[in-house]
Amino acid sequence: MLAPYLLLLLIFGAIPVVMAILEVPHESRTNPDGGWDAFNIVLHDFRFLPAVRHVLGFMAIFVPLTIIFVIGMALMLDLKISRWKKYLRLAYIIPAAISGPVAVLVWYAILQPTISPFKGPLKFFHLTSNTQIWQTKNLVFIFALMAFFAVCGYWILIQYGSLQGISTEVIEAARVDGCSALQLAFRIKLPLIKKYIIYMGVLIFAGGLQLFVEPELLNKGAYQGIAEAWSLDQLSFELAFTTGDFGGAAALSLLLLFPSLLGALIVIFKTDMFEEAEVTSKKGEK
Amino acid sequence: MLTKYFKSSKLRQENPIAGFFINAWLIFFAFVSIIPMIWLLVTPSKNDADVTNRHALSFGQFSGYKNAWDNLQFFDEGVIFRWLLNSIWYTVTIVIIATVTATLAGFALSASSIKFKKSILISTLITMLVPPMALVVPVFVLVDKLSLMDNPLAVIFVSSLYPFGVFLSYIYFTTTIPRELYEAGRIDGCNDFKLFTKIALPLSWPLVSLLAFFAFIGNWANYFLPYILLPSSVNYTLPIGLGFLFSATPAINPSVGATSVPIYKPEIALAGVLIALPIMIVFMISQKRLVRGMLSGSIKE
Repeated sequence: MLAPYLLLLLIFGAIPVVMAILEVPHESRTNPDGGWDAFNIVLHDFRFLPAVRHVLGFMAIFVPLTIIFVIGMALMLDLKISRWKKYLRLAYIIPAAISGPVAVLVWYAILQPTISPFKGPLKFFHLTSNTQIWQTKNLVFIFALMAFFAVCGYWILIQYGSLQGISTEVIEAARVDGCSALQLAFRIKLPLIKKYIIYMGVLIFAGGLQLFVEPELLNKGAYQGIAEAWSLDQLSFELAFTTGDFGGAAALSLLLLFPSLLGALIVIFKTDMFEEAEVTSKKGEK
Repeated sequence: MLTKYFKSSKLRQENPIAGFFINAWLIFFAFVSIIPMIWLLVTPSKNDADVTNRHALSFGQFSGYKNAWDNLQFFDEGVIFRWLLNSIWYTVTIVIIATVTATLAGFALSASSIKFKKSILISTLITMLVPPMALVVPVFVLVDKLSLMDNPLAVIFVSSLYPFGVFLSYIYFTTTIPRELYEAGRIDGCNDFKLFTKIALPLSWPLVSLLAFFAFIGNWANYFLPYILLPSSVNYTLPIGLGFLFSATPAINPSVGATSVPIYKPEIALAGVLIALPIMIVFMISQKRLVRGMLSGSIKE
């Protein structure tokens, strides 16, 4: 019964990596002699460092912003002061339905002062023309904002759910001891859901690394040339499909794969996230 | 009832001002959250001029939707309809294969003592955590070698690899069905297949709907993979088609010359609605399930 899954895992998980490794030394225009120099050539591509910088800048804004905001919102919802909690949660999940190219379309409109549904706020910040907004240097912020809205509601719901898992006795006991709402949040609730926060951090991080459709569509459509080979995904796409340099594209993928593999292994073996899976040994059983 | 009321108004009594501001902020953010979706939903009801001239959230006419849909049909002899059908059949097939393989694999990993169980679980977790972007070019190289380029089956099979689902299913079966039950079944002469159909399957419907839900939301709007593997327009999915319209219409891309095809902002927004609306509906009806599923990925019930 494992066979169908194992087959998929082997063919589309393991074999591609092997093939990518074999593809690297192939001769190409950028690597005329072939060989493992392909790694070096990609690292010295003039677009490589800017793309790394863009992605890191994006992540540096998007990841902490999302985590802190989500935790704050979940804690506020958990205070149970709003009578419309149920409807609020329904509203928060809605932006998650706007993803991929639809998100590009919607954000194109939001950040276009002539048609924006947020004309008022844009005007307040003296943004009346799209040339003020759509500049290459602003893209890290724009993409961070897009990614933030696409995932934050989804995670607010999940972290709110994790807070519901805390037993009421614990909360009541803390209250009897005179805990204020803030102390309750920082001393009791957050430590108890620490595990889910790490879980969220890991998934937000892994998901955030993928930045393709946003820069690609804007670059090809509305604002041509604004994001040429802006992200690492675009660069590898560019290498493979525009230059036809599959060796270089494969080398770039592997350069991304190894740190991700290392990261995944650290998460699996050095945190207790997957303890129940009996993958790693439980504490005290060593 | 009374204690519930007492608890719920605790903060309000302790600190009414903070309570008021928090409440106001929560409601404010709810409005911010729904505005983009409202914009998307009302835009096809207007004509292109009114998208700019009238208030962004105003409603045009119901006939606007019909008009925008008819205009979309003008594009490349109604290829939009083809994209819609493609999106539906790719996604449905992926959801079925992914859900079935993940359910079976999770069951097999939890019920029987297979060799390499630990290595399989670790590989599953690794595949789940490695960002998909690192695998896209390698997958492309493989698909190219298999001569499956521009073949929908490539997207379907690649997307059916569902490590998160396998992990979820494994956790589900280990936490809901005690191992003794399987052992008893084995003594009674059941093989693994019978154990699955007689014991596990009847208890696994909540799991199956959860797996199908995550597979659907992960694949319906997927862009990168089909974009790379399916270059011809007849094989596009709706998201790829939308991306194409977005970058090819003079209404949005100033460098494209005027065309006779009536694709403007309302038409593009309508294509966006076709993608976003199903996800929104699924999200809204299964938000409880979503929360439970995500949390059980990392905890015991």
